[in-house]
Amino acid sequence: MFYYKIFKLFFLSSLLSVSLFSYPQISQDIKDKKIYPMGEKIYKAKCNNIDVTGFKTYEALSLAIKDSLCGTLSKKYEESLSLYIWDVKLGDSEVHEKLLVSKKDKCQVCGMYMHHYPTWVSRIKYPNGEAYNFDGMKCMFKFYFNNKKGITDILVQDYYTLHTLNAREAYFVIGSDVYGPMGHELIPFVDKKSATTFSLEHKGDKVYTFDEITENMVRSLGR
Amino acid sequence: MTLLVALLASTLFISNAMKSEYNTIINSYPDIVITNQKALRDTTINEDEVYKVLSIKGVSSAVARVWGHYYFLNGDEKFLILGRDEFETYSNPLLNASSNIAKDSMLVSKEVKKSLQKSYYTEYFNFIKADGSIKRLTIQKTLERSNFLENSALIIMNNDSAKEIFEYDDHEVTDLSVSVANKIEVAFIAAKLKILFPSARVSVKDDLRVMYENIYNLRSGFFLTIFIITFFTFFIIIYDKVSGLNSEQRREIGILKALGWRVGDVLNTRFYEGAMISLVSYILGIVLAFIYVYYFNAPYLKGIFLNNYDLLKDFRIVFNIDFETLALLFFLSVPIYIAATVIPSWRVATLEADEVMR
Amino acid sequence: MIKLINTSKIYDKNVVALDAVNIEFKEGELIVLKGVSGSGKSTILSLIAGLIKPTTGEVLVNEKKISKIADHFVSSFRQENIGFVFQKYNLINTLSVAENILLPLVPLNLTKVELKSRLENVLKLFDIEDKKDTLVKNLSGGEQQRTAIARANINSPKIILADEPTANLDEKLSLEFIDILKELKSQKRTIILATHDPLFFELDFVDKVIQVKNGQIIS
Repeated sequence: MFYYKIFKLFFLSSLLSVSLFSYPQISQDIKDKKIYPMGEKIYKAKCNNIDVTGFKTYEALSLAIKDSLCGTLSKKYEESLSLYIWDVKLGDSEVHEKLLVSKKDKCQVCGMYMHHYPTWVSRIKYPNGEAYNFDGMKCMFKFYFNNKKGITDILVQDYYTLHTLNAREAYFVIGSDVYGPMGHELIPFVDKKSATTFSLEHKGDKVYTFDEITENMVRSLGR
Repeated sequence: MTLLVALLASTLFISNAMKSEYNTIINSYPDIVITNQKALRDTTINEDEVYKVLSIKGVSSAVARVWGHYYFLNGDEKFLILGRDEFETYSNPLLNASSNIAKDSMLVSKEVKKSLQKSYYTEYFNFIKADGSIKRLTIQKTLERSNFLENSALIIMNNDSAKEIFEYDDHEVTDLSVSVANKIEVAFIAAKLKILFPSARVSVKDDLRVMYENIYNLRSGFFLTIFIITFFTFFIIIYDKVSGLNSEQRREIGILKALGWRVGDVLNTRFYEGAMISLVSYILGIVLAFIYVYYFNAPYLKGIFLNNYDLLKDFRIVFNIDFETLALLFFLSVPIYIAATVIPSWRVATLEADEVMR
Repeated sequence: MIKLINTSKIYDKNVVALDAVNIEFKEGELIVLKGVSGSGKSTILSLIAGLIKPTTGEVLVNEKKISKIADHFVSSFRQENIGFVFQKYNLINTLSVAENILLPLVPLNLTKVELKSRLENVLKLFDIEDKKDTLVKNLSGGEQQRTAIARANINSPKIILADEPTANLDEKLSLEFIDILKELKSQKRTIILATHDPLFFELDFVDKVIQVKNGQIIS
């Protein structure tokens, strides 16, 4: 009887401890928009000279932080910091460059000056470092269909967050009520969910992956 | 003539500076602010609502803010209190820049420091809560003057201190500030938020900008008054010239005609004369305006634009040359003056020389 | 050569200044128009200078019908050919002697050198050199008169017209003026004087004396 109680206690406490320190269930949106930025700030302020690379599990990291690895913090901050370090610092995420243009840059296809529409800039890059800019996805695709050879990267900006995306992994919505500088456009999204939300809200026709897009589709969008 | 141009130029410079100031300030406002309401009066909101906002696509960040006003000395002065979380990112750079605020401490602006000192508070201040009890906060640092026009009596403190002073519950906050990455989506998201928070007031930044622009626009209020006055004076001068030359001047033109000057010669000279005078006045006027506005900071004239006179002493006007303004002034003054000089001369010069000299 | 053919000048209210007058002046002549004020002699001068147009009749100067040409050309004509000394001088008081004298030349856009040399010639000739930078309003009567004459000569006119030139001068200055006249005559200019100063009537270098009375020529 006695051993059974102890066993139960042990079992329960380990269960508890695991749930205490295990990786929390939080939506990606909240992680991206609040937790990571906050964690980054905490990290920069408090974990300056501290080595965070040695941890093999999230639980271990989390425990260490609770143990004042980076000083004393409130519970909310501890969680943000742990998640930030685990997902962002130690995780691998491909971050592409911000698609910036100068006042003189013109769209390779239509010749318009792009600095008035910074959120619509897309870019095609070659191995030798050459890069072409476009004001919108339509112009970019027009160029792409005629020059498929030798391209290393195709970059676009996610509509909702303006983060730079690899176009080949992005989702596009055609036929929405959001117009770009060249009129009808293909609007890029980082994931299917965003694309679908947008399509529903802005009366888009359909969501396409990069490979599903044909030259005819692009032509039907007009000049 | 010179003074007129100077006056006009000064006004234009000041209003330009104001506009750019306001633009800077407005840029530090969040795209959208959600303020809860009860019976259409502003009230507090639960800070967990922020997660609802964050789940909307297009929202790049959302922050639960704690801020409000505090009456000092029986309402003689109002302090603006901004609470903040050290590791949150706000749209107002002032809240992000400040370094760590110790527990039960605060950062105050110079105006607040002065006011407190007048009441013999030098190191700390006792905030009085609604139930009469006191919350003491130590002054950790005095803030350097920045460019805010409206709120100079400013105190920054930790969120929990602010919550104590305002007597908020643990989860109560003043409002939610929302930032949207792609500005095209702002209106759309504002609409979504109105549905998500049916009892709240959703304010969008652009509306604010339009409001401020209207005040400092050429077409409005104070500015128009000055404009009209200067213009009016200007036209009186012009009218005086155009309504005819005095007898001395007519005689002179007659003499010139008698000496063999043709009408064209007379007009030519008058033209150069007019051009010289108006150009010199114009340049002098602009230079004077420059010195008055940028070097001396436009005493007195500022008062027409800014309400709070105490602010005026410190407000440094940003250097801002706008060629459109300069061109406008030029075309308003120079050609008109020249015309006013030349036309009456033309009228006189075409008379018979002899008649004029009689 | 100057001709007035059947020229009349009638001002408003039927004031007849000149009544169908016919005169001819030959080149190089020095002619005195004699008559009291209001007799019409000033009117004749003004007509010749083109300052006024006749009501009827014609005015010819060197074969040009100046009574018929447009204001612009009359001014040019005046600029090139006429030097006028007015009764009241008509100088610009706020300007200096030199500035007044140079006025007729301003529209011509001559070089500074040219202007300077002409100015100096004329200043010397009429003995007003020392006052050249003085403002006209600070000059004496005689000095003003000499300035007026200098101005009338700066453009080397072929015809010099003077209206009561000695009216405000004492005897000494009047005699000085007569000396100047002699000098001008020797330069072969056509000179027409309108005056009622008897000093001029007996001068040996005067070619003709024409009496004017009530708008008509007598003798």
